Amino acid sequence: MDFAFSQEQDMLRESVSRYLEKNYDFDTRQALVRSDDAWSSEVWTQFAELGLLALPFSEDNGGLGGSIADCVAFAQSFGKHLVVEPYAYAIMLAGAALEASDNESAAEWIEKLASGTSIVAFAYEEGAGTSTPDMIRTAATPDGDGFTISGEKRLVIAGAQADAIIVVARVGEDGPVGFFMVDKDAPGVSITSYDTIDGRSAAKIGFKDVKVDASGVLLKDASAALEGILVGAIIVQSAEAVGAMEALLATTTEYAMTRKQFDKPIIMFQAVAHRLSDMKIAYTKALSTLTFTTALANSGAATSRDISVLKGQLGTLGRSIGEAAIQTHGGVGMTDELNVSHYHKRLLAYDAQLGDHAYHLRKIGQAA
Amino acid sequence: MNVDFSPELEAFRAEVAEFFATAPTPAIREAGRKTTSVFAPFKQCMEWHKILFEKGWVAPHWPVEHGGTGWSVQQRFIFAEEYRKADLPPLLPQSLGMIGPLLIDLGTEEQRAKYLPGILNGDDFWAQGYSEPGAGSDLAALSCRAEPDGDDYIINGSKIWTTYAHHANRMFLLVRTSTEGKKQAGITFLLLDRMDYPGMEVRPIYGVDGFPEQCEVFFEDVRVPQAGRVGEENQGWTVAKHLLKHERGGGSSRAPAMAHYLASAKEAASNTPSAFGGMMVDDPVFQAELGALEAEVASLSHMERLAISGHPIAHDPAFPSIAKTFNSELQQDISVLMSRLSGVDGLARQIEALRVGSNVEPLGSEFDLIAMPLYLNSRAASIYAGSNEVQRDLIARSLAMN
Repeated sequence: MDFAFSQEQDMLRESVSRYLEKNYDFDTRQALVRSDDAWSSEVWTQFAELGLLALPFSEDNGGLGGSIADCVAFAQSFGKHLVVEPYAYAIMLAGAALEASDNESAAEWIEKLASGTSIVAFAYEEGAGTSTPDMIRTAATPDGDGFTISGEKRLVIAGAQADAIIVVARVGEDGPVGFFMVDKDAPGVSITSYDTIDGRSAAKIGFKDVKVDASGVLLKDASAALEGILVGAIIVQSAEAVGAMEALLATTTEYAMTRKQFDKPIIMFQAVAHRLSDMKIAYTKALSTLTFTTALANSGAATSRDISVLKGQLGTLGRSIGEAAIQTHGGVGMTDELNVSHYHKRLLAYDAQLGDHAYHLRKIGQAA
Repeated sequence: MNVDFSPELEAFRAEVAEFFATAPTPAIREAGRKTTSVFAPFKQCMEWHKILFEKGWVAPHWPVEHGGTGWSVQQRFIFAEEYRKADLPPLLPQSLGMIGPLLIDLGTEEQRAKYLPGILNGDDFWAQGYSEPGAGSDLAALSCRAEPDGDDYIINGSKIWTTYAHHANRMFLLVRTSTEGKKQAGITFLLLDRMDYPGMEVRPIYGVDGFPEQCEVFFEDVRVPQAGRVGEENQGWTVAKHLLKHERGGGSSRAPAMAHYLASAKEAASNTPSAFGGMMVDDPVFQAELGALEAEVASLSHMERLAISGHPIAHDPAFPSIAKTFNSELQQDISVLMSRLSGVDGLARQIEALRVGSNVEPLGSEFDLIAMPLYLNSRAASIYAGSNEVQRDLIARSLAMN
């Protein structure tokens, strides 16, 4: 049993952290969010150069064959810096879906994704959290040697900017879900782009009788693959969430020690001190659960219950840490200017995606 | 990063499970089922202690040279899990969890030679004399006085909330040896060889659950040898703080016991009708509450495993306080769910049926028998070993110092 990062993982983490410290401070990030660009192509290129984009892909596919623990090692600093680049969606979700594909067209996309020359979006969510793939209603109807896709997807991260979109759709009424590659300019595709509250670019995408030919049928029965793919994305986003929680704890502690009211630092008031210590307890729980679950997943031993524990716990803990940070900061915690509110919104977004805490916790309680 | 599940470990699990299935007497099993506190029924608990000692498994967390098992982290967790699955009484923490590790760390060679064997083999049971009527959360305000007199101390004063002092044959306690300077600077840590020194009196206190678990201990000119001092005179506060680390459960595994309670709650819920139709176990609100608690227990288990494996998380000076606050409040939340499930059946006062060896049958299920006493007793979890208010002060103080 080993819960420590390896030397290589520590080095990767340090190099990503060093790069972001230098190039991704909060003001730079805010300027990026306010600009017309969805994210920084320069940063994305740098991620490619650091090897992050190729990391999770297998060596057979030209990747680095990295493990989930490798990804966790650096993803915490993504959370600390509130990175808006679509790593979890383009690499962990779309990339992994391409790797699961038995269609030879996938290889070319993997190469482009891993080198940073293309972005592929993953159209999964259909609103209300799409906590489970059972809720997918977007339909894929057989049509010649291809399919016709109809339905609507929500929160497709990088959906408007992507070069192609992988749609998760149900084959037939009660059939399995499959992965289908859709050209964004195809007839019947309507894209409404928007910004999320946590600074990312997303899209609501309608599909009306959109034709997918044989080369776009990535995987007809993706049920088993999808489960593993969601696990990878959940773990990486959980690591980002823990990074955000750590940053909130640090910045809130510092604020409580310097902000004076009634002639003393507010941390001297027990109500404030106890709220801070609750933040520390919550953070310690979150870090423990992330670390243990990562080790389990790395050993191929994480069950769906383990993943629900991670997602359910971190959703709850992240929200409580964010709310406590705002309350401790008082008025300035409510402003757009300070990073506190932005961390909180990132944590809210984390909770809402891929099944919120209420879903995952009840699922644990429901299990036989 | 990895978690190993080797065939050797599964063989170890089978060996442990087999021992737990065969070694305990029926009375020990009954005591396990009727445990409604951190402190199991005394007599059967000590019988079980001796059986574990004979097997060599009584102190897995101790260093091997002092009687530990030398098990890996994974083995210790498997042991703890199987222990709870078998529903056996937990061993009392004062001896093996507190004074033993303290003497290993800070005792003299003579003290270790004199006391460790009795702690290990279960001949001795130690009471912990810390709190006083005027010194609870503010423990350093204690006033129980020890005056040097030749090779002895003369003790005057009293201790309170001394768990199982009426069962103990030895006691470790904090006494005031000086009133000069800071209050922490005049405290001394003493070991008493007997509980029946002339002038010493133990009075049990009946608790909210109807059981005499806590005691008051009175000292009137009690003469004890100075050889029982741990550390220097007036340096007892440092010794006490060291012991608190062990007491607050930094390195222990509480999660398996809580998982066991939740499993019993789930089983009870499958036999409890919901007013909204079906059984409670199918009720969405119950499922949400149970799931939230199960997830908390999982997080506690993760934290405890990381701590046992020496992860940096446990090197944080606030870690014992974090672990104590977390596990005590979780224990309380679980007991709330259990007592709610037992409903009006939990209102019956069944002191006699709870006694090990009693011929009085419980009115209802064994779950209904223990749920309310467990809930009532669990109120103490956020008070003992330093109230959770004090723990939160300590956590905040360590945040401010980083």
